[in-house]
Amino acid sequence: MQQTYAPGLVRAKGQPLLSSLSKAAQRRYVLFLLLIAPAFLLRITTAAYPILQTIYLSFTNLNLLKNTNEFIGLQNYPAVFNDYGVQEALSFTIMLVVSSTILELIVGMLVALLLNAAFVGRGFARTINLIPWAIPTIVAGYAFRWLLDDQFGLIPYWMNLISGTRMVAFIDPVSARIAVILVHVWKDAPFMAFIFLAGLQGVPLDLYEAARVDGANAWHRFWHITLPLVMPLTITMGLFRVVWSLGSFDLVYGLTQGGPGVATSVLALQVFREGIMFFKFGFASAISVVLLIVVAIVGAIGLWLFRRSEVSY
Amino acid sequence: MNGVRIRRPWSYWWGNGAVYVSFLFFTFVVLLPVYWMVRSSLAPAADLIKIPLVYFPTPTLRNFITLVEQVPFLEYVRNSLIFALATTLVTLVVSFLAAYAFARIRFPGSSIIMWTLVLSMALPDVGTIVPLYRILSSLRLLDTIAGITLVLSSALAPFTVWVLVSFIKQVPYEIEEAAIIDGASLLQIFGRILVPVTKPALVTMGLINFINAWNNLLYPLSFTTSPSSKTLSVSITEIFAGYSPWGKPWELIMAVGVTMTIPMVILVLFSQRAIVRGLTGGAIK
Repeated sequence: MQQTYAPGLVRAKGQPLLSSLSKAAQRRYVLFLLLIAPAFLLRITTAAYPILQTIYLSFTNLNLLKNTNEFIGLQNYPAVFNDYGVQEALSFTIMLVVSSTILELIVGMLVALLLNAAFVGRGFARTINLIPWAIPTIVAGYAFRWLLDDQFGLIPYWMNLISGTRMVAFIDPVSARIAVILVHVWKDAPFMAFIFLAGLQGVPLDLYEAARVDGANAWHRFWHITLPLVMPLTITMGLFRVVWSLGSFDLVYGLTQGGPGVATSVLALQVFREGIMFFKFGFASAISVVLLIVVAIVGAIGLWLFRRSEVSY
Repeated sequence: MNGVRIRRPWSYWWGNGAVYVSFLFFTFVVLLPVYWMVRSSLAPAADLIKIPLVYFPTPTLRNFITLVEQVPFLEYVRNSLIFALATTLVTLVVSFLAAYAFARIRFPGSSIIMWTLVLSMALPDVGTIVPLYRILSSLRLLDTIAGITLVLSSALAPFTVWVLVSFIKQVPYEIEEAAIIDGASLLQIFGRILVPVTKPALVTMGLINFINAWNNLLYPLSFTTSPSSKTLSVSITEIFAGYSPWGKPWELIMAVGVTMTIPMVILVLFSQRAIVRGLTGGAIK
């Protein structure tokens, strides 16, 4: 049993806290605070305080180039929602997050099943599965941009050899969006696969044996044993992936730079554009707030889903 | 033996066949972009615009030499290295201290404090870059490696804390207890007992954070402007952005890409088990 360091904390009702602590317990408290201080200091200065700043700045028209800095209340928000770039970015962000997460869950599970099977070369497969994670996202973005180049890229070249059609991925908004989603899946599904693999390996083998004895075939075993047991993990990972990919920036920046036009722009890209490139700090902060609200909503939905998914056997 | 032929069920071959086809397909999909990148970086520029495609060009280092000549390439490499190492160090130290506190000093409310820290990793990095720009500017940390190190370390800390807490909890307390009874100071407990015992976890998180920092784009891109602090990830975007859509020097872009990727691939090849343990350790618990 793990020892706890705070024996003096159990106290009778009505007794003031500090005087009821033994000196040892007081020292433990101080130690705790000292140890978490660096981490919390960092988080407060680079996350907590900046969030408050972002919210405040969204109510101003701070613009470093035009040299304006006045409190303007909610005026940024209608401008933000009427901005064509933000509208497109909002819709594509949601499209990207939903479709890529669903695809990543499916592909991740399939890859995990592969990596769990017994075959010569499995070690190799498990090793190269880490490559999409290890490769810098921006490099992956450029690599696929070049791979899909309509003139000299490998994939359009093969498409032409096979079917005679000319594949121009990045001029048409729809195909550009599909490209972004698929590259996103390429980048992230292997990571999901590892999580699923760990989950698959945690399923007791005798459950499968018992099912096999009872006559269940492979599909049955997957649907009724594997899937329910892996479901909490799936939902957790799905949730993390959704929230994380809401802030996705590098891939779009490299693959399409948000183009054609703003068809593949995402909220993160718009914040970067308006803020770091155009120095419209107030406006960009308003977009950030929209992003943060979306994250909060998605996070809340996810937590609710998570509560409902506990499975016991 | 007299020629008894064993009849295997059809599923024996088909099952194995499906697995191997999937394996080949999987390998192809994963490695295709890597092959393409390497091929493009080692090819003479003229080979990249030849039809039919040159799959295996005669390799040349010309592109890398061009990079070193035309941009402060070696400086960028140095900056990426320093940034990644510094971030890893800061993140590990800060997270280890906090993780120890959360794992060993428990009291009502301590886990809420921990979850606040861990859940803060849900915050998208972009959400705070505007105020961070101003904060770094006022601290005179804009355009410095120190500035982006602090910001990224802070972003990587929550996940690191999460993983380290579950690792430390698995270490039996008896060893520390014995040391305390023997009168060891906290520093000694850390140095002599805890750090050596949790070394696998520290190595794992060190690797993961190093890779994350080396690959990071947003913070260097937003907060650095001069070659003395820009990283490789920024340089690749600059080379791309510096040319019109029809004249991109893909051989150079891919050369930078290769420079960024190959070290990571090598790292991953040698430490696959450790990394996977770290990445999944937090999630599975």
